[in-house]
Amino acid sequence: MELLINLTVNGLATGMLIFLLASGLTLIFGLMSVLNFAHGGLFAWGAYSGVWFYTLSGSFLIGILGAIITGIILGFITEKLIITPVYGNHVQQILITLGFMLVLTELLKVVWGPNQMAAKVPSYLAGSWEFGDVLIIKYRLFIIIVGFVVFGVFQYMLQKTKIGLIVRAGVMDKDMVQALGINIKRVFLYVFMAGSALAALSGVLMAPYSGVIYAEMGFEFAILAFIVVVIGGMGSFPGSLFAAILVGLAGSYMAYYVPALSLAVNMMLMAIVLIFRPQGLFTGKG
Amino acid sequence: MKNKFQWNNLFLAIIVVVLVVFPFVSDSRTWTILLTQIFIFSILAMSYDILLGYTGIVSFGHAMFFGMGAYTTAVMLKRMEPSIGIFILSVVCGMLLAALISFFIGLLTLRLKSHFFAMLTLAVSGLFLVLAEKWRTVTHGNDGFTFKAPEFFKDRMMFYFVTLICLVLVYLLLQRFVNSPFGRVLVAVRENEQRTRSLGFNTLHYKVMASVVAGVIASLAGSLYAVSLRFVNTSVLTMDITLDALLMTIIGGVGTLIGPIVGAGVIELTQHYLSGLAKDYPIFERWIIFFGIVYILAVIFFPRGIVGTVREKLWKRKKKTRPVEKREVS
Repeated sequence: MELLINLTVNGLATGMLIFLLASGLTLIFGLMSVLNFAHGGLFAWGAYSGVWFYTLSGSFLIGILGAIITGIILGFITEKLIITPVYGNHVQQILITLGFMLVLTELLKVVWGPNQMAAKVPSYLAGSWEFGDVLIIKYRLFIIIVGFVVFGVFQYMLQKTKIGLIVRAGVMDKDMVQALGINIKRVFLYVFMAGSALAALSGVLMAPYSGVIYAEMGFEFAILAFIVVVIGGMGSFPGSLFAAILVGLAGSYMAYYVPALSLAVNMMLMAIVLIFRPQGLFTGKG
Repeated sequence: MKNKFQWNNLFLAIIVVVLVVFPFVSDSRTWTILLTQIFIFSILAMSYDILLGYTGIVSFGHAMFFGMGAYTTAVMLKRMEPSIGIFILSVVCGMLLAALISFFIGLLTLRLKSHFFAMLTLAVSGLFLVLAEKWRTVTHGNDGFTFKAPEFFKDRMMFYFVTLICLVLVYLLLQRFVNSPFGRVLVAVRENEQRTRSLGFNTLHYKVMASVVAGVIASLAGSLYAVSLRFVNTSVLTMDITLDALLMTIIGGVGTLIGPIVGAGVIELTQHYLSGLAKDYPIFERWIIFFGIVYILAVIFFPRGIVGTVREKLWKRKKKTRPVEKREVS
């Protein structure tokens, strides 16, 4: 029983990290139909800059803030320099964002060196609680809470605010939104920056969770995020939460029971979804 | 038009002759090895261009076929005897395997839109990488294993010629392929898939066949690559190989067969040169940044790559000069 709970908490925590990464991806795709292959690079940049701010200031909170700001700035640069010139051409978008991913990853190595970096859990989140036999690691619980809070905030913004309304409408029909006199390009930029900030947040939270960060982590995690986006349905915010938790849990159970299949299970999930329901489990309606 | 093609062929023939004579003139070992490497990657990049340049499909899983060829050859040469017969057999086996797998993957995934296809190929090739890492009894995982190359290939020069012959053969074959009615349909798919379908072509069939051809040729490149190193590890299945093919194709010129060869040459040579510089300037250790930036700029400003841009310029010049000539005549 305690094993099951541990695995579940583990899976939920991983799932939340993937969700933070995938939610940005799914919104960007839903709104701009841009599949951002550089998203993993933003994730890794978030992790590195967050850890850097964290070790410099000694406060994890400042680390998180630093990572988010880095994410926003990088998101701005990416949208302006990389996405805008090839807007509307899918093949070019795929190619160029992949190229940018390459540049981001290598730049990380230039700035912080090619070696792995260690990241520690802040003291107030270290350790664990014991409930009888069940051991719950504080940091994992923290990630889960942050994930749900972010989900709540974004869901509120999407459903209740004007900008959320525009974004949701944009996902459905961007030409119509533009015809109504809204500068959809600017909304794209905001959504892209928000998505990048989420990716960076995911990265900085990931750092103490795995203990070490390395430049290639972005790519490894981005693959999981893509799987989640496909399963959840492109453009669906709740869908990505559901799919991320599914992928996280599947990964954590499989890693314990059938370790050889731990990565394969996600690929198989995606393959099944793509073959039978190519639009994803939750159809993208914002 | 016909005249131009002949000039093209003459030019290529001269280059081939130079490459054939080269090892007799220069006995630089480094250059022989470097050129061999360029030939192998040219084959890989050409196969990738069949997908990207001719059919307009972005695949991120090309390394999987390259790795398949490399592993088939390496494992067979190690387990059986290192003879030329076994080598040829292993190349054929690798090609068959690649054909089979690319056929099934293509059938499942090519119905999807470009985004999904790119992602799925990425995922499937990731799966193969994991498989190779876990199946240690055969692949020895990330550590890899060395094996003996056939006696015939011991001489670097011999192997140089073998790869050169392979390159020329593959070039001629693919040239024939893309200029065939089949190849024309592939270009039509790239230009407008829906329209091609409405003309009565089963586009899925054509796309699957294109991916099979690309997979088979990539497998050949992988086999040659394994023999050139006499060593194989899981790096042949990583994204880096796909990225190499992608960079070479984009920078050289998509939609041409010469382009990927030029791209392979440019990238391998620059890489060689830059990693030489890295001893003095550590920034050049990260040479991939330069390629990344050049690549991004190429996608934005020169989507046709080196060869495409040059051809366009030549074509424009001819177009400009021709009316002038006519006027003079009349």
